[in-house]
Amino acid sequence: MNGPIRRVAIGVFVCMSLLLAGVTWYQVVRADELRDDQRNPRPLLLERGKERGLIVTADGTILARSIEDPEDPRSFVREYPEGPYFAHLVGYSSFLVGSSGLEGAYAPDLRSRRDLTISDLVAALLGRDLRPNSIEVTTDTDLQRAALDALGSNRGAVVALDPATGAVLASVSSPSFDPSLLLGNDAAEQFDILLDDPTRPLLDRGTREIYPPGSTFKTVVAAAALDTGTAEPGTTFEDPVEFQLPGSNATISNANGRPCNDGQTATLFEAFVRSCNTIFADLSIQLGAVDIGITADALGFNQDIDYEWEIPQAVWNTEELAQDAAALGQSGIGERDVRATPLHMAMVAAAVANDGVAVTPHAVSRVFDPDGSTAEESEVSELGRAMSSETAVILTQMMERVVTEGTGRAAAVPGVRVAGKTGTSTGSEDFPNPWFIGFAPVDDPTIAIAVLIEGSETSGESASGGSVAAPIASRLFEVWLSD
Amino acid sequence: MERRAEAITTAAAALLAAFAVSLVNFANGGSVDAQTGLTFLVFLLAFGTIFVAVRAFAPRATPLLIPPVVALVAIGFLEIYRLAPERAGLQRWWLLIAAATAALTLMLLARGTTSILRRYRNLILLLSIGLMLLPNLPGDWGLPLRGLEVNGSRLWIVLDLRFTEMQFQPAELAKLGMVIFFAGYLADHQRALREAHRRIGPIRLPEPRQLIPLMLAWGGSIVILIWQRDLGASVLLFAGFVLLLYAATGATGYLVAGGLMTLTGAAAAAYLFDHVQRRVIAWLAPFEHYQDEGFQIAQGLFALGTGSLTGAGPGLGRPDLIPNASTDFIFAAVGEELGLAGTVAVLALFALVMAVGFGISFRSRDTFRKLLAAGLTFALAVQVFLIVGGVLRFVPLTGITLPFMSYGGSALVGNMVLLALLLRISHEEAT
Repeated sequence: MNGPIRRVAIGVFVCMSLLLAGVTWYQVVRADELRDDQRNPRPLLLERGKERGLIVTADGTILARSIEDPEDPRSFVREYPEGPYFAHLVGYSSFLVGSSGLEGAYAPDLRSRRDLTISDLVAALLGRDLRPNSIEVTTDTDLQRAALDALGSNRGAVVALDPATGAVLASVSSPSFDPSLLLGNDAAEQFDILLDDPTRPLLDRGTREIYPPGSTFKTVVAAAALDTGTAEPGTTFEDPVEFQLPGSNATISNANGRPCNDGQTATLFEAFVRSCNTIFADLSIQLGAVDIGITADALGFNQDIDYEWEIPQAVWNTEELAQDAAALGQSGIGERDVRATPLHMAMVAAAVANDGVAVTPHAVSRVFDPDGSTAEESEVSELGRAMSSETAVILTQMMERVVTEGTGRAAAVPGVRVAGKTGTSTGSEDFPNPWFIGFAPVDDPTIAIAVLIEGSETSGESASGGSVAAPIASRLFEVWLSD
Repeated sequence: MERRAEAITTAAAALLAAFAVSLVNFANGGSVDAQTGLTFLVFLLAFGTIFVAVRAFAPRATPLLIPPVVALVAIGFLEIYRLAPERAGLQRWWLLIAAATAALTLMLLARGTTSILRRYRNLILLLSIGLMLLPNLPGDWGLPLRGLEVNGSRLWIVLDLRFTEMQFQPAELAKLGMVIFFAGYLADHQRALREAHRRIGPIRLPEPRQLIPLMLAWGGSIVILIWQRDLGASVLLFAGFVLLLYAATGATGYLVAGGLMTLTGAAAAAYLFDHVQRRVIAWLAPFEHYQDEGFQIAQGLFALGTGSLTGAGPGLGRPDLIPNASTDFIFAAVGEELGLAGTVAVLALFALVMAVGFGISFRSRDTFRKLLAAGLTFALAVQVFLIVGGVLRFVPLTGITLPFMSYGGSALVGNMVLLALLLRISHEEAT
């Protein structure tokens, strides 16, 4: 009788093996296909509904929070009370279209610690708090709001830094969008609409796009010239209507088509205040690509900046420009292949304001646990001395004169000493990109700023840094200093 | 020494249940709480009772059966607790009742040995039939014992104890009674059934006269299917009987005839009965009928696929999206939250219990005990295959639940008695 029982037993174990094969088929071979099936709501539901930490400013403005879902008390929904004002900085965390900004960069801190990783488990068993950590950002809410409002219907960006610490005081990109749109069930369609928008509202122009810095780059060239002793403020240069680029038929002229000064000679000081391309092209070639490159690199060009997320490198191509004097002349006025994000140019202004020392920017001041005690604090991280203290003092004088009587007069604020530099770089089609970088107050700078307008029909063909970007800077200095 | 290992692994499995409850709590934002302690205590008390009963009434029983069963109950309890905490509280009570019933079974059999079951097999058959008919009692007469219709099937009885109502599926116990009867009947008649076959080629066909029991069992199954609309019990009883008939006689013809009768019956049932037809549609094309018949199976497969290798973690998946996850589809719930690791562990634990069950049968010298052990193991194997195979689309769903794991008190009581019977046989046949 054992014979038949044994045969049935074998049959039973064959069946069990079939079940093993079946379960492996569905959980391994076809797992991805089943998980990603349109009708399977699990991946979305698992991503959604988890509690995430707060994102707040030091002054207590809530930028992102999780509240209990009124329809399902076990799950949470994300809220962005400031809407478009912090859309690029705070970003979004969407179960359908992924995450961006600080929501993405600080996801490991902001996530709930109930995911049962080994460390979560240990924490749970030790009775630790499983609620997510929160982050405090360095921005000033009034300044941030004013910045986006000031950009209005323009495309562009404002980045404002604390020159001494590198703390981001404001970082906006225009046009913005409402991150709440990306939280609902129709997030994918909303995302597609934003992606298809020709004004590219999803793009953070302040930190994720590089532009030719135009004449604002003259600040870097001037710093290199002063630092190396190649020129002093009073050093005179020939003052032609057009500067002939060596080894080339091309010439460089000034924005108004006239000589810089009297057509005979002009000083470095005059050339900086009036933003003369002719003289800065000449100076750049005299200085050489290497010396400009040393200052540019010290200010954060050609390297990865340790910001909250990866930002594109600012470009000054020393090796190539050392071989090509004509290109060097064009690059010395921030054109040709020179590129920087507004964040980089804010760092340049901040370094001048900070006695010549460049500081790495950061937007998060601390990570804190649910009880409010600090889990992790940002430290001021110096990039290094970019120019001598004397150079910074002289450059500040030159930049202040830009605002008092030069191209940047529109950046002036009554009763405040403001320093700055305008720029108008080549944009797309016929629309130039107006720039302004600067800081205030001159005696004890508390804010360094970069304003970029990306040329479009809104800003127009005749827009310049002095006419479009400088007034925005003025407005923001006023908001910041009136606090 | 073996008993100590058994005790340690049993306690470890109880700890597993408590640990699992904590994990679900953590996932929902709680922590170690009364539920954790209560679960641990109930598991310890329940299996401690069986353990003590084994030492007292079946001291030479195999130590290999209880630990895998506790582990299976623990994994099942994890998912029940996760899906419906209020059901888990009820299931804990049922676990205590089931354990007490198993201990009582061991105690009763200690006096008369399992041969008492053989002696009273006809009485047991009558009792079983009676139990199966109980749900057909009127639901509205004044007596405390009433029938209850759920989802169009009459499978439940309600025992009104004035202070509380208990619901029970008597068929779960009747299945065991039927296995006992089959084993007893076949032990008595196996010689006659084995002899006198006609040969057609390699297949030995039984005499028509000897097909009578087979026909009776088949008829009984069909009656159950029609009258109570219980497809699962119907298939289980017939398959169990055919396998046991083959085990007792070694006549392949019974297997062939039984197989053919199953297919005919199934085809006819699928053709004639709506509720069977729906299950066949869901089985053949769940995704094409995603909105209605196929929804449950499709969600079960989504759960398995999403769980993948390691699963979402206890309390972190969404097995609640599967209809009847804590009963029919608990295997898919395990697959979603514990992944392939969990489902393979469950299958391995079942395989271990079955292997031990067959081992007990092999080693038995007494024909009745040999057939009873084999029959009980067949019953377990058929149930596992029907429901896991149903989830994995090997066979249509039959309404059978996963032994030891699914939510449901009656099934737990029935399967614990099955465990007690296997333990007792292994004691009696121990050398």
